[in-house]
Amino acid sequence: MTINASRRAFLQRASALSLAGSAAPWALNLAAMGEAAAAGAPADYKALVCVFLYGGNDYGNTLVPYDTPSYNLYQGMRPTLAYSQAALAPTVLAPSIALPGARQYALAPELAPLLPLFTSNQMGVMLNVGTLIQPTTKTQYTNASVPLPPKLFSHNDQQSVWQSQAPEGAASGWGGRMGDLFIAGNGNATFTCVNVSGNAVFLSGDTAVQYQVSTSGPVAFNGIASPLFGSAACSSALQSLVTAPRTHLFEAEYTRVAKRSIDAGSVLTVALAGAPAIATAFPAGNALADQLKFVARMISTATTTNTKRQVFFVSITGFDTHDGLAQIHPGLLTTVSTALSAFYQSTVELGVQNQVTTFTASDFGRTLTADDGSDHGWGSMHFMLGGAVNGGRFYGTAPVVANGGPDDVGQGRLLPSTGVDQYAATLGKWFGISDTDLLTVLPNLGNYNASQRNLGFV
Amino acid sequence: MNVAEIDEEATLAASSAFQSAPGTVVASAAALLSATLAACGGGGDSSGSGTGTGGGGGGGGGTGATPPTTADASRFLAQASMGASRAQIARVQAIGYAAWIDEQFALATSTTRWDALVAGGFSGPSFKNSESGFDASAWRKLLSSPDTLRQRVTLALSEIMVTSIDSLVGSGWKAFAAANYLDLLEANAFGNYRTLMQQVSTNTAMGMYLTFRASHKANPVTGSLPDENYARELMQLFTIGLVQLNLDGTPQMNAGAPIPTYALADITGLARIFTGWDFDLQGQTGAVASATPDFVRRPMIQYPANHELGASTFLGTTIPANTDGVTALRLSLDAIFAHANVAPFVSRQLIQRLVTSNPTPAFVARIATVFNNDGTGTKGNLAAVLKAILLDDEARSATVAAGVSAGKLREPMLRFAGWAQAWSATSPSNAWAIGDTSSASTRLGQSPLRSPSVFNFFRPGYVPPNSAIATAGLVAPEFQLNNESTVVGAVNYLQRAVSGTGVGDVAADYSSLLAFGDDAVALVNEINLVLAANQLSATTTTTISNAVATIAGGTDPKRLTRIYAALTLTVAAPEFTVLK
Repeated sequence: MTINASRRAFLQRASALSLAGSAAPWALNLAAMGEAAAAGAPADYKALVCVFLYGGNDYGNTLVPYDTPSYNLYQGMRPTLAYSQAALAPTVLAPSIALPGARQYALAPELAPLLPLFTSNQMGVMLNVGTLIQPTTKTQYTNASVPLPPKLFSHNDQQSVWQSQAPEGAASGWGGRMGDLFIAGNGNATFTCVNVSGNAVFLSGDTAVQYQVSTSGPVAFNGIASPLFGSAACSSALQSLVTAPRTHLFEAEYTRVAKRSIDAGSVLTVALAGAPAIATAFPAGNALADQLKFVARMISTATTTNTKRQVFFVSITGFDTHDGLAQIHPGLLTTVSTALSAFYQSTVELGVQNQVTTFTASDFGRTLTADDGSDHGWGSMHFMLGGAVNGGRFYGTAPVVANGGPDDVGQGRLLPSTGVDQYAATLGKWFGISDTDLLTVLPNLGNYNASQRNLGFV
Repeated sequence: MNVAEIDEEATLAASSAFQSAPGTVVASAAALLSATLAACGGGGDSSGSGTGTGGGGGGGGGTGATPPTTADASRFLAQASMGASRAQIARVQAIGYAAWIDEQFALATSTTRWDALVAGGFSGPSFKNSESGFDASAWRKLLSSPDTLRQRVTLALSEIMVTSIDSLVGSGWKAFAAANYLDLLEANAFGNYRTLMQQVSTNTAMGMYLTFRASHKANPVTGSLPDENYARELMQLFTIGLVQLNLDGTPQMNAGAPIPTYALADITGLARIFTGWDFDLQGQTGAVASATPDFVRRPMIQYPANHELGASTFLGTTIPANTDGVTALRLSLDAIFAHANVAPFVSRQLIQRLVTSNPTPAFVARIATVFNNDGTGTKGNLAAVLKAILLDDEARSATVAAGVSAGKLREPMLRFAGWAQAWSATSPSNAWAIGDTSSASTRLGQSPLRSPSVFNFFRPGYVPPNSAIATAGLVAPEFQLNNESTVVGAVNYLQRAVSGTGVGDVAADYSSLLAFGDDAVALVNEINLVLAANQLSATTTTTISNAVATIAGGTDPKRLTRIYAALTLTVAAPEFTVLK
């Protein structure tokens, strides 16, 4: 994988160089390749924004079965947690293409801020997507006759599998691997994969590194920004100590990150200072909104930093609702819906709503049977937002609402009918990745028929 | 819906300074153990007799003839304590590593976090829905408690059996629940792992954090099953892990794939044991029951009507039908504790917390052997395990320490504590108003018992992507916290701390350093020895001392400025940040 991706990236750069003109010298050097790649880089700007709901979102109280037979089954499996059908009426989704069997869904009432986006076709809904190695039937699952994702139902591992197709310890994620393909076309490689919420394998590529930045922007060493205890010599010593290459592997990693922080921070700080303020009002006291607002600010600097493709990661925790789901989950959904709505509006303000596609992801879905809370599950429902999204409709297959039915592996833990690789491939295709490269970025994609690899939602 | 329904009101603002009576002494049972432990496998006589991990020449000390050098002693203390100091270095040199460990085992405990909260007035009704006082109670222990090995181990255990104060929902009194949890870990730090499992499994903080408090038997109407949260993490994170391990911690393979330790059915089986547990309200109900935090300190008790009485099967063990909840818990924990994974799984993580991110399989096997049998036939003797880790040739060897991937990143809390211990930082008001240091961009990016999830601040198998560490096939857990924001935020925070600004009234005693204030080279050498285990290279000490020398000396205020600068540069230096 590593060798292939590096080789692929090299070939891309070399190819771009050859397109750049006959004046290029035969002896390639990195600077020339950088310029050449820029010449062959995408002309437009596009960004993918992954919104990760840590803890495993409860799908049953997110996208609620609404047609009466399905609703009754849902209500019977979680009587103390179920929304009333009346409460759901204002947020019933009216898709442009009706679901088979007269199935209907409503957004949880707290997701009402997203309803206009669905209605105006800027948001689509992905039904029962989850981690899979290959298309898997209930019989195949029961008989364990096909490979299954490793360590199902385990938080840290399924987070990792969602983000990287491998359990905890994975070296790269699909966001990062997509970023790998566009580093050469970006003015500053560091801004290709940007994490505003900490550390996630999703954004680590084979060559792309995730740039982790706070919601208030880059942080500068105080002792470098101004003389350390009044001494310019001490400031320069500080800069030298934290950036010098080291022989010890751990020390080397420490100074490598510190150097990247200083280098990227200085560029980004200037770019941010020159960007107009975002006028869109983001909800206050909303950590996800803070992150997404910073994503919008970064996007607003893309022209300045000559960035053509970016993959962002933001996240919110608290979805592991074993207890008190009725008290906790609605508030989380409000946080998500108000943040996403504001973010979409900010992309409109920046005029990039057709160039930014946002999507949700989570560890796993949860059980549908529940009293006070729900347990770890598998497949779940997710949302795709943006001007380029073919919204206003459902994608995938509506699962039968049941405990031990054809579409669940017990307690309403959904057996995914769509794999994460398909979901990701659809996003990647829009991002500008070739079918061939997608097979490398998404190692399970080849297990699906070519006709099933692009779900068409964007 | 819960047996022990507790009112939780809106969070109240509360900002009283933390007050406590310092130095209350409680007799320690550990003293009784130390004589036995001296004879344990991997114990006091092991210096120089290790099985060979690359020379081992730097060991020394122990009960042997050659006392440790100051640098060796400082390095040992960086592994075995919350941080070295001149006094501790001298003590290690005087009595040797093994005797120092025994002395630490025997030390009395200091005032509990719980008692400190009470003394600080935080048990009043206005604090029921507040976290006030907790951070101070935790930091006071880490930075100033004399039983520094016990504190280091308590911190390590809090990163294996994780809870996190923000998520202790259901009782109010979060500060007390969190404080009590750390007190519990501390009380068992040199005890038996099986006892620790028992106490954690009935602890109110854990019951709330992993949500098995008030979990009840299956509901035939809805089809809902008992809460699986604790059953899963007890096995995955606290005891056996996900894959079958060899004694040396490496995974057992079958046809090229690791062998899982359990399946979903084992979790649903074990989850049935963790039903019927809830707060011990001693018969009281309503607001009276939770008017004071006392119930949070009592172990949870069984409410038999909610306990699953059908037979429960997991890990090849069946708890018979109609077994009462207390007995079922004991039998279940016995079954888990009997699993061959416990020794390598826990031993490897303790090595990682104290010594090195990448112990050799042989090192893990030596420690796991002691875990399985302390020499007296007892399994799970943590004191014996800790002593074996710290005295192992691979921990003590200077040759090992000189390798290009030796050691571990000092997590930010340990960088901060290292400074505080080195020059006896105190809080004159006893307020220890350090607060929550979690902010990644402005503080340490880490704070006691404030992990973002049960998976700790970092995972034992974390590999920094795209790094030389990854290429070498190594892990570096603490690097999960190291990013473009935290690498800067922590240095900025420590710059404030060492110069006595921004961490309440917490300040160091620099009187010993002032003597070096006019000699930059001597100053940096002293800091290097005490704070950095003498691991700064000559190039680095020269860089620092040349820079510090540009600051004028001559008066104490100027000498202090030199000290601040030298300390800031040292704590930022990669050779301090990575403990070899």
